[in-house]
Amino acid sequence: MRISVEHRTRYQYSAPVTTSHHEARLSPRDSEHQRTLSQGVEISPEPSVVRRRSDYFGNRTLYFGLCEPHLALEVTSKSVVELMPRRLEDPSRAPPWEQVALLLKTDRKRDVLDAYELTFNSMLVKANPTLAQYARPSFTSARPVLEAARDLTRRIHSDFTYDRRATDIATPLEKVLEQRRGVCQDFAHLMIGCLRSHGLAGRYVSGYLVTEPPPGQPRLRGADASHAWAATWVPEFGWIDFDPTNDLIPNGQHVTLAYGRDFDDVTPLRGVILGGGHHTLKVAVDVVPVDDEI
Amino acid sequence: MQALETAVPESSFVANYAPEPSAYDEMCTEAQHVRSHWQPLVQRLGTLGISEVGRRWGKAQELIHENGVTYNVYGDPRGMERPWNLSPLPVVVGPEDWLLISRGMVQRAELFEALLADLYGPQRVLTSGTLPPQIVFAHGNYLRALHGVSPPRNRWLNLYAADLVRGPDGAFRVIDDQTQTPSGAGYTLENRIVISSVLPEIFRECNVQRLALFFRAFREMTQSLAPHNRDNPRIVLLTSGRSNASYFEQAYLAQYLGFTLVDGNDLAVRDDHVFLKTLGGLQPVDVILRRVNDDFCDPLELRPDSLLGVAGLVQAARTGNVAIANPLGTGLAQSPALSPYLPALCLQLLGQELVLPSPRSWWCGEPSALPEVLARLDQLVVKPAFTSSSENPQFVGLFSAAEREALVRSLKATPEAYVAQEYVTPSTTPVITESGLTPRALVVRFHAVATMPRGFTIMPGGLARVADVAGVSAISMQRGARSKDVWVLSLDRVSGFTMLPPSNRPLALSRGGGDLPSRVADNLYWLGRYAERAESVARLARVIGARLLDLSSEGELQRSHEFGPLLAALEAQTEFLYSADIPYAESMTIETCEAALVSAVSDDSREGSLAGVIRAALRAGRLVRDRISMDTWRVLATLDGEIEDLRGARGGHHLSTLVNLLNRVEVTLSAFSGLAIDSMTRGQAFHFLDMGRRLERGTALVTLLRATTVRVSDREGPLLEAVLEIADSGMTYRRRYLATLQTPAVVDLVLADESNPRSAIYQLRALADHIQALPPLPASGTRSPQLRFALAALRELELAEVEPLCEPDPEGGRPLLEKFLRQLGTQLPQLSDSLSDSYLNHAIVSRHLVHEPATDSNGGGA
Repeated sequence: MRISVEHRTRYQYSAPVTTSHHEARLSPRDSEHQRTLSQGVEISPEPSVVRRRSDYFGNRTLYFGLCEPHLALEVTSKSVVELMPRRLEDPSRAPPWEQVALLLKTDRKRDVLDAYELTFNSMLVKANPTLAQYARPSFTSARPVLEAARDLTRRIHSDFTYDRRATDIATPLEKVLEQRRGVCQDFAHLMIGCLRSHGLAGRYVSGYLVTEPPPGQPRLRGADASHAWAATWVPEFGWIDFDPTNDLIPNGQHVTLAYGRDFDDVTPLRGVILGGGHHTLKVAVDVVPVDDEI
Repeated sequence: MQALETAVPESSFVANYAPEPSAYDEMCTEAQHVRSHWQPLVQRLGTLGISEVGRRWGKAQELIHENGVTYNVYGDPRGMERPWNLSPLPVVVGPEDWLLISRGMVQRAELFEALLADLYGPQRVLTSGTLPPQIVFAHGNYLRALHGVSPPRNRWLNLYAADLVRGPDGAFRVIDDQTQTPSGAGYTLENRIVISSVLPEIFRECNVQRLALFFRAFREMTQSLAPHNRDNPRIVLLTSGRSNASYFEQAYLAQYLGFTLVDGNDLAVRDDHVFLKTLGGLQPVDVILRRVNDDFCDPLELRPDSLLGVAGLVQAARTGNVAIANPLGTGLAQSPALSPYLPALCLQLLGQELVLPSPRSWWCGEPSALPEVLARLDQLVVKPAFTSSSENPQFVGLFSAAEREALVRSLKATPEAYVAQEYVTPSTTPVITESGLTPRALVVRFHAVATMPRGFTIMPGGLARVADVAGVSAISMQRGARSKDVWVLSLDRVSGFTMLPPSNRPLALSRGGGDLPSRVADNLYWLGRYAERAESVARLARVIGARLLDLSSEGELQRSHEFGPLLAALEAQTEFLYSADIPYAESMTIETCEAALVSAVSDDSREGSLAGVIRAALRAGRLVRDRISMDTWRVLATLDGEIEDLRGARGGHHLSTLVNLLNRVEVTLSAFSGLAIDSMTRGQAFHFLDMGRRLERGTALVTLLRATTVRVSDREGPLLEAVLEIADSGMTYRRRYLATLQTPAVVDLVLADESNPRSAIYQLRALADHIQALPPLPASGTRSPQLRFALAALRELELAEVEPLCEPDPEGGRPLLEKFLRQLGTQLPQLSDSLSDSYLNHAIVSRHLVHEPATDSNGGGA
């Protein structure tokens, strides 16, 4: 399936920004189940410098700087990707989670090391006893790691209420756990924290979800949003994604932008500005299957 | 290790010295023999005599106090925290020990450099199993943004420092490594300068290796890192801020090496290059010598909450357009958790045995380590695994039962967060105390600097710290510790190379042209203003005080007419009433006059009191420490003591004491002005300092005249005489008008006489000249707003007709003069504001743009 994604971000400032530096991770990754067919990021006003690189986790990263005074900044990323069906593993064939945790701790092969790195605390996700306790019912003795993770996905979905007003980007994980409310980013962080509390690797994935408009209604422009979910590493299988917000294993509907230890590693657009006064922010996202493009 | 030992010479110097048997003593053997490498020093000190050493040391301490603030004081003048007191006896390092130390230091520096190159590259030490990956992955200074980024000239480590102790077995151990922002080289240099001036002949005769060659290598290394302009690179020292413990060392080093001292707000990244924001515009920066920790260096890619860093710096480093020494991310290598693995890493990375080992160490995250550590806990020092913290080692043997229990709990809960190290009883070295020579525990910090294209050179000397309490169990070096110079003896003749200026001349500002950072200009401007304001308040207060002293009775006070206006002038000055109404006291007694005077001088809760203004001047002076000459600084430091005396005056000194004190302050302040004028080159720094002085002096004159001349009184003579004295124009007046005192003549001389360097018009003329000499502003017309303000005020003064202005009205006022002065009193602050707007307000702090908010799917419906 071909998906077209348009992600527009507009900052409006009350006073001129004299210089600014930004980092964007708005270009989809390629993988065995995703291929980028076209991609471009438009920035207005024209930046004085634009640099592309691949970051520590292999995400396509754009650095740009503006040094002419400006009152607004608009960044539009347009991509078309092709999603291929994922190979779905039989969860019961996965090794017991304890065995995976032990392997991560002891094996020094490069791919295992890379996964091991994702078992450690990061800026926004720190393992702690409360998280471990919440996760424990899913991690029964010798349970295959994929079954445990799938169960955890289900439990987060049923125990937590989706609530846009409950949290913001600064809400700590403890608070989310306490109030049992949040958005996809919180649920992804929660799942990662639960995995790490059991010595397993937890990866944060940012991207988009293809949604269908309610039956009989037209697709609304700008009504979509970006999305986030989690992944864990399983020997032989590699990284397997789980979407706790929607209680499913992504397949064919999730467009992957970037991944890292948590949201902080993959923030779609961040910046440091000089001047600017107050600012307002507008984000509009359209995720449309190419066949029924409006 | 020392070959020759002979009996202690017949010298009272070491006669009663009794080292403890449980520790190695640097000077004496167990048999009370002076080690051979100490003998040249001990013999000469014996000849000199302990009392002569004491006498010279007393003199040196006066020097240190005057230099004081340069030497070791930071923070608020009242805080006066001294990281180290210097102790006069140096520590002597013999040639054999030095060979081992320098070989070991070079090897350790090479080891850490190779380790950093590997960890920020292929990570073979992880895949081979030599190093537990947790130590890297869980480390806050493993900067993933820098992985795969090769630093300029591929040098991962440019500076390195290590703390060494010598155990009872005579062998050295490294108890702390600094690979991020090594500090202490500046203190070492300051210590050397003081000690070599206290013991000049001994220093010469002992064949002590000089430090200058090391600092030359330091400068050469920094220059050679420059990606562009290698012939004449712009090098800045990025300070971690004035509140940092080592700020003065940073300022001192910057001045000594000729680098510009900057903070994060002075720098900006444009198009992958780093620039210094100066009065003359943006100047490219080639090398940053940083004292800011890794993660604070760039709010964009590293810690978003950092205010010390420069947004975009990582990106600039990535493109190789700027060299940062040490490179970003090097903090990773100073993790104490590495200690247990260093011997194996040394074999793997360098193919060598480790020459200078750490004490036996355990990283408690290793499953086998914890039981071993718990079993011998009382002989160990426990440190956090990831932060270098020689400041705070915890020797478990000294813990209370409760502390020990709490530690055991933490160790069991998060073993990976701790490193345990065998406690090495440090060696001792003599210090002079009241009861003669006493042994004290010793730690020495040695420094290495990279040489190009590879290798390191070690500073032949170091920063010794000795415990301030007796007994070798005293481990904590940070409280009340003293520092010492370290003398490395040379077998060859030492080179007399020096980097100090040839004579004791003031270090003038050598940075001509446009590279004065706006922030520095701002501080110089305020230093000029505060110093001048203090001088005028002191003079005014002194004149009032002297007249009060002459009064014989209350009746005389009532009969005299000058006290009301003069005290009103003092009030106006200390309350900043430049154009507002000036209140006059209704009734006065000698007691209320004295109280008003004392309050204006010493009440430091009043921002504008003399004490308050001097403190503000010191604060501004401290911020431009690297820009003013040593002598000028010394004068400022003297004021520090006088502030204390002023405060004492508040408790009720005799009036004559207060007047004497004011006299002294005035003299000191004029010395400051004089030195500033004499010792500063006429660059931008001077323009800003002098503009501050001129503006303040003009303001003070206008305020004085407004308080004293706009009302007609019966006997104007004594008041006018006081005005002339305060305005320092008495002699000129008498030369011109002999003894007849009249208001128009006085006003003319003080306000509008261009030939009087103390007149208001003279100050404005000088201001206009300075402004015209400043670098032109972009996007301004022919005349900048501040020049227009200055010229407008100047024009009015030029055209002023003083006699009609001074014409009294029937109510006994001089309304025309009052209006004229009030307008001037409004214009001067406007001029100051517009100067600030144009040149000084560059320090707008950058801030983080809120992340794009957490995003979400359209509800859990998919």
